[in-house]
Amino acid sequence: MPAEQSIDRAGERRSSDRLTDPTLSELPLEELLGELLVRVQEALGVDTVAILLHDADSRQLVARAAKGIEEEVERGVRIPLGQGFAGRIAAERVPIFIADVDHADVLNPILREKGIASLLGVPLIVEGELIGVLHVGSLTPRMFGQDDLAVLLMAAARAAPAIERAALFAELEHEHRVSMVLQRSLLPKQLADVVGVDVAARYLPAREEVGGDWYDVIELPRGRVGVVIGDVVGHGVAAAALMGRLRTALHSYAIEGHGPGRTLELVDRFVQSLDESAMATAGYAVFDTFNSKLEYATAGHLPPLVISDSGVRVLEVTPAPPLGAFPYGRCPEHELTLGSGEMLLLYTDGLVERRGVALSAGIEVLAAAVRGAQTPEQACAFAVRELVPAVGLRDDVAIVSLQNSPVPAELHMTLPAEPKTLSQVRRMLRRWLNERGADEAAVAEMTIAVSEACANAIEHAYAPSPATFELHGRARDGELTMTVRDAGRWRAPRGQNRGRGLSIIVAAMDDVQIDRTAIGTEVVMRRRIAPK
Amino acid sequence: MSLADVQITLAPSALIAHVTGEVDMSNAEEVGATVIGATPNEAQGVILDLSGVDYLDSAGIYVIYGMRASLQARGQALILVIPPTSPVHDSLRLAGVERSGEIAEAVDAALRMLDGRPLPGS
Repeated sequence: MPAEQSIDRAGERRSSDRLTDPTLSELPLEELLGELLVRVQEALGVDTVAILLHDADSRQLVARAAKGIEEEVERGVRIPLGQGFAGRIAAERVPIFIADVDHADVLNPILREKGIASLLGVPLIVEGELIGVLHVGSLTPRMFGQDDLAVLLMAAARAAPAIERAALFAELEHEHRVSMVLQRSLLPKQLADVVGVDVAARYLPAREEVGGDWYDVIELPRGRVGVVIGDVVGHGVAAAALMGRLRTALHSYAIEGHGPGRTLELVDRFVQSLDESAMATAGYAVFDTFNSKLEYATAGHLPPLVISDSGVRVLEVTPAPPLGAFPYGRCPEHELTLGSGEMLLLYTDGLVERRGVALSAGIEVLAAAVRGAQTPEQACAFAVRELVPAVGLRDDVAIVSLQNSPVPAELHMTLPAEPKTLSQVRRMLRRWLNERGADEAAVAEMTIAVSEACANAIEHAYAPSPATFELHGRARDGELTMTVRDAGRWRAPRGQNRGRGLSIIVAAMDDVQIDRTAIGTEVVMRRRIAPK
Repeated sequence: MSLADVQITLAPSALIAHVTGEVDMSNAEEVGATVIGATPNEAQGVILDLSGVDYLDSAGIYVIYGMRASLQARGQALILVIPPTSPVHDSLRLAGVERSGEIAEAVDAALRMLDGRPLPGS
């Protein structure tokens, strides 16, 4: 070895010691790589150091960290295995020394551009697996000797497992972040606001990684609302992505008007048609806000709960295979009446599954936890408080709860004077009239009459200031009295068609009084209802 | 969720508009304009299928009258499809207009009603 290249042996040993420093293995990937570069550079007195990691998918080396030739990383240099200096080190898993870069098979142009004269590189290997290449370079011609090689090999031996561990961890963390963002973006941004029900939901990711749990609330035609819970088998980005597809598929079938059983069966056929093996459990319930009927079906999913003042009951489910499990799976439906104020609670197994505890026992714990909840928000909060550990949730959890909002004995509402209010008013009215004991025909006719009176009030509203009108309803001795009051002038019917609103009101009610004053118009409508 | 949906299909002699959902003062004019706008001049008439309508108020009835008037001006007919059990019947009955205009119980019956009518402009 030329004299000018001789190294102070003691100094080299000190540098070597720094390479075997056990605290290195505790650093995160970026810091670890940076620290290694510095220490290798010190130990060998070289101008450049580079670490390339093996990307098994593309069979390429990817420049990951460098000192003296930072461009390697910046330009994202990729070297195919088996080609050039680093590629051959990786493919043949042997150290390679190049005394004269100008006359050697070097693929990476940056090495030449930088004016590197000599190179020495070694493979990074962990338990027989190639994970990358570590190489050093000198701007002046240098004969790297056995001592240099020994130092570099030792550095590689120490670094490789730490790099692998840190890289694995970084990858997991990255995947965790990605699937977290994905999961969030695939769940409903806000729950549908449907007249007649209150809803609440929760999603809690597991400590390690997200899964494929989801919930949904879907507004359906004719005063119905769908509630979904689902759990894709598996974890991570793939499960979250599949969850997004299943949520969309179920939503699409649901708004087509299919019942819970058929909807789940269609989602099952959808899963069967995927070109990948996929499986999920799900529960779907459809609540009719007009008559308080609840229909539900499950596919391999845990039984829903119903929370009422008298306690909590676990609903019966017919065992059905998970979605995607068997061809032609059937999902039988069940039906019940969800009383005024009662709540349905759907959840995933992450909430009730505990190691060494029977599922049924977990469900009992949940039932006890949500006992006494008065609102869906409370039901979710109680469930999370009692069943979700503060740290270290092992499986992700989704919960969704729907309440048949209590119907008040009397209606007293102030509403925005906008046409779109009308459909909301009709949904409220149908529930209220039904609850007061009006039969189907009376509900339909009175709904038209009151909606017409409200439409008049909205037409009277003086633009552009935001106006309101009032709607009152009460029941006395078998007679319903509905009052619509606005702060505008009653408008005389214009033309033969515009008068129809009033003729509908008169035809649908037993008695109609219209009181027009300087401050506004009041329409009082009465109709006797026969006991059901 | 939108209150109503309109699906248009074209038969050889007529435009068939299937309306579903609820029609009130918030969307009646839009529904009417959608159907009239889609009607080709060659069509003998329009079949307005209301069998999927859950609610129709006086604003909806008003728009149907308006559609009939503008189609008549083009020599085209308007036939309503209203099954006997439809809530639309209640509205027409309460408004006292259940017997005005041509009403069929189903789309195929409406198509037969259109047959034999003179072609527009002939």
